[in-house]
Amino acid sequence: METQVLIIGGGTTGTGIARDLSLRGISCILIDKKDINAGASGANHGLLHSGARYILKDSETAVECRQESLLLKHLAPKCMEDTGGLFVALPEDDDAYIARFPELCRKYGIVCKSVDASQALQMEPCLAPDLKAVFSVQDAVVDPFRLSLDNAADAQKNGARILRNSQVEGFISHNGRIQAARVRDTRTGDTFHIGALQFVNATGAWADKVAAMAGAHISMLYSKGSLLITQSRINTRVINRLRPASDADILVPGGTVSIIGTTSVEIDNLDDIRPTMDEVDTIIRQGSVMVPELATTRYIRAYAGVRPLVKNGSEKGRTISRNYTLKNHEADGLENFVTITGGKLTTYRLMAEKTADIVAGRLKNTTPCETAQLPLPPSRKGEWTEPGRSPRAWTARPRPKDTLICECEMVSESMVDRIVDTLLTEGSTPTLEEVGRRSRIGKGPCQGTFCSFRLAAYLYRTGKLDKKQGFFQVREFVNERWKGFMPLVRDRELARLEMQEAFLCGLFNMEVDP
Amino acid sequence: MRPVQYGSGSVNPKPLHTGLAVVGSGMAGMAAAICAYNRGISFVQVGQASELAFSSGCLDLFSILPGRFPKGFEDPFAGIDVLAKKKPHHPYSRLTHAMIRDAFAEFTGFMGSAGICFHGPEQNGQNSLKNQHIITPAGTLKPTWQVPAAMHAGSLAIARNQRICIVDIKGLKGFGARQMAQTLQPLLSSVTAATIAFPGRETAGDLMCERLAWDLENPKILAQFIGLLKPHAGRVDVLGLPAILGMYRFEKLRRTLEQALKKPVFEIPTLSPSVTGMRMKEAFLGKMTDLGLLHFPVAVSEIFPDKNGFVFFVTQGLQTMEVRADHLVLATGRFMGKGLGVRDEQIKEMLFDLPVAQPETRSGWLRSNFFAPAGHPVNQAGIETDDCFRPLDAAGSVFHPRLYAAGSILAHQDWKREKSGSGIAIASAFKAVSSIAENTPARSG
Ligand SMILES: Cc1cc2nc3c(=O)[nH]c(=O)nc-3n(C[C@H](O)[C@H](O)[C@H](O)COP(=O)(O)OP(=O)(O)OC[C@H]3O[C@@H](n4cnc5c(N)ncnc54)[C@H](O)[C@@H]3O)c2cc1C
Ligand SMILES: Cc1cc2nc3c(=O)[nH]c(=O)nc-3n(C[C@H](O)[C@H](O)[C@H](O)COP(=O)(O)OP(=O)(O)OC[C@H]3O[C@@H](n4cnc5c(N)ncnc54)[C@H](O)[C@@H]3O)c2cc1C
Repeated sequence: METQVLIIGGGTTGTGIARDLSLRGISCILIDKKDINAGASGANHGLLHSGARYILKDSETAVECRQESLLLKHLAPKCMEDTGGLFVALPEDDDAYIARFPELCRKYGIVCKSVDASQALQMEPCLAPDLKAVFSVQDAVVDPFRLSLDNAADAQKNGARILRNSQVEGFISHNGRIQAARVRDTRTGDTFHIGALQFVNATGAWADKVAAMAGAHISMLYSKGSLLITQSRINTRVINRLRPASDADILVPGGTVSIIGTTSVEIDNLDDIRPTMDEVDTIIRQGSVMVPELATTRYIRAYAGVRPLVKNGSEKGRTISRNYTLKNHEADGLENFVTITGGKLTTYRLMAEKTADIVAGRLKNTTPCETAQLPLPPSRKGEWTEPGRSPRAWTARPRPKDTLICECEMVSESMVDRIVDTLLTEGSTPTLEEVGRRSRIGKGPCQGTFCSFRLAAYLYRTGKLDKKQGFFQVREFVNERWKGFMPLVRDRELARLEMQEAFLCGLFNMEVDP
Repeated sequence: MRPVQYGSGSVNPKPLHTGLAVVGSGMAGMAAAICAYNRGISFVQVGQASELAFSSGCLDLFSILPGRFPKGFEDPFAGIDVLAKKKPHHPYSRLTHAMIRDAFAEFTGFMGSAGICFHGPEQNGQNSLKNQHIITPAGTLKPTWQVPAAMHAGSLAIARNQRICIVDIKGLKGFGARQMAQTLQPLLSSVTAATIAFPGRETAGDLMCERLAWDLENPKILAQFIGLLKPHAGRVDVLGLPAILGMYRFEKLRRTLEQALKKPVFEIPTLSPSVTGMRMKEAFLGKMTDLGLLHFPVAVSEIFPDKNGFVFFVTQGLQTMEVRADHLVLATGRFMGKGLGVRDEQIKEMLFDLPVAQPETRSGWLRSNFFAPAGHPVNQAGIETDDCFRPLDAAGSVFHPRLYAAGSILAHQDWKREKSGSGIAIASAFKAVSSIAENTPARSG
């Protein structure tokens, strides 16, 4: 396999680069060891930052967030919900910080208006009543799945190729020039080569490992953050705690749910990233100070992602810059390899532009970047990822001949057909988990007990699954859901667990390999 | 005893006196009621039989000893012997093989008289008593002890390695013949799959098993249904269908089908709600009514023990009745049944606040792999008892001399992993009620 540019990593950054390059007429292949948004891009808070959160520690990021968020609201409105945001201070929060907040916002050009506490309570009745100060900002909510899938779709339309389940395991180079990447198909185990003129390492938290394969060194720190999804939507706007970044101080609404987070836990292994019971307890305890009903509400799922933080000195966790790192690796003696990591979802476009500039420059391509002007076209790939969208679509136009596979989130057979069609344009046949990632299947209250079977039965019926594949895929799917449900189990959830286990183990005997 | 006020309704002035109160109408409650009836003990039963509606309709005994390296047993009694050595507090460790056999015989005998016939392995003409297997919608084989007649042809076909054709129905989701056939192929020598459209519901997107079961009781629809199945019955020995073959006249219906197709037919349990579970519930409750036995499908909120027994109130509509029972069998199940609950991160027994054996903290309840072969520790939590299944208090003495517990509420078992749900329920209820019978003069009637 040959191409001009091989992009490694299918998160927002990688898909953004694929679109940017293909718009410049450069041919590229985008590969991911798992799937689009299998990394941090699929496990974040979905907040399109106005920049206000970073004014104190990270003014550069603050300014970039301001500029990029305004731009994205225009260019990718289908991926956004322009909710606006509030920063709220409680009695125990630091007065000096509160006083500096509007001042710093002004300094960096971030729109910030003081709001009366009583008015804030009318705007967001879920807030704790004893608010000391409130400011409104231009935060918004972004659907990261939709964003990456729309970028991927537009890149494909412009000639890029996408391969899921393809993991880079090494490079073949000669005199400081990488000739090809050695890639393993993680499904079949087969190894193949992809030759290219330029190689882009957009692997997020894995960037140090991939760079090391090319012989370059990056010093990284992995900061795990966990989040909780509530059963129903609690707030209208994004709510930030007005204090230096800490645990559980942002509540982001999205579709029919709200998401509270995050934590920041340093980890040293990326193999098994999962939220823990301790983190869940911390989030609920801390979050409910700001929004009291978080102590009593039901949660449907917890999840965790890893922030790739690049170390420059001796900083730790939250104090490390959220700014992105772009390395051309010339100092490492590599002439056709770049690494882009760190940064934010909010600044993905800018990160992609800067990376593509280097790559295009090396390829002597002078077509300017177009992603700051061209709207991001909505695609069919990302249409079913938003919470509440499939139920709306189903209720608006119920089709008696269509069968609902997921009753909690109202995903029907015809929706699955469309998802499967788009997955087929990205290489191998789809798995339950991949269909799940592009829809809401398994994300409702049953956590996949029923819908995973229905989906498997449907994929078998339509010839997409064979032999014992479905059995193992159902187990994997259930275990993936379990990761997010297990730390939430505290009382009523035990009944749900019992039901699920009664079916999967008691009746279906699925803990035993067939 | 404190006075009780129930809404605007009236309290029936005359208390109902009974020998035994069975609290719970799941498998264990049913078994306790049957045992009491057979021994002439007067009793009152309360509880909704809602969990039964999920059950596959098979009666499991024992198959797997969970652990880091789980051990499977073809002969459940051999397994129970190993289990008893490893886990002396397991409910089965308080029972002899004979008691378990007798308990099953009593239970299946009663259910047979109510219209649900079970087949045990002894009826398969084998010398050694091995677990039977049923096909599940996941395409797995699940070991079980007694299967209802409706599933028997399937278990025989598996044992005899016959040619099976599984038929699914367009629009009946979560039941995929091709999924089952593909997954089962390495285990069975010949499984094929076919799909038919249900007569009169050819284009419907969402079919419910219960609805189809009612439809098939209509002879016209049944005849069309048979017509659609005929082409698939030719080259196979037996046909497997989702459990939709009738709600009440299922035996007759299946025989009609078998005669017309000239092949044995068996049912495969479906995802919830399951017709096989509903049949069991209906048959049991119907028989109770026929026999004039008292069953209140309600929950009791409080029970007051005194030295003569137990007092509680049942409210149905606006009527509230006081019940005084000499003995009580607590068969309230676990978290689904609501026998167990959680307060302040501690697992609690909900009616008597009996001590519950459990992991020290919430963080010890669960394993990070849902399918971990050792099972989740929370599933071993429950009530500890003496050898007659009388719950113990915190000091380890009998909590109340006339209080018994049965079924899944008991500690130190994991029925879902062991495949022992009905077995534990039936056998523990049997021993508890037998002990009560020994202390009770039999009444006539
Ligand atoms: C908890 C949390 C909350 C966050 N909240 C926000 C927020 O609210 N707003 C915001 O703007 N930002 C937020 N972020 C930051 C944002 O999510 C990330 O900066 C962004 O998603 C990074 O995208 P990426 O494409 O660079 O990396 P990733 O999304 O991690 O993508 C890297 C990809 O590389 C693939 N890969 C790895 N190794 C290989 C290999 N050897 N071969 C092939 N593929 C490989 C992985 O499978 C992965 O899909 C949050 C981050 C976290 C962790
Ligand atoms: C999905 C599923 C599949 C199953 N498959 C099988 C199978 O294949 N084979 C098998 O052998 N078994 C199976 N079972 C059934 C299982 O055997 C039984 O559910 C289990 O043994 C528990 O029975 P139990 O009677 O102890 O408790 P439950 O069935 O939980 O019954 C508890 C009863 O107590 C009542 N109750 C609780 N609190 C009160 C109160 N305060 N007042 C009055 N009543 C109260 C409830 O209403 C209920 O009737 C399955 C169960 C499920 C859920």
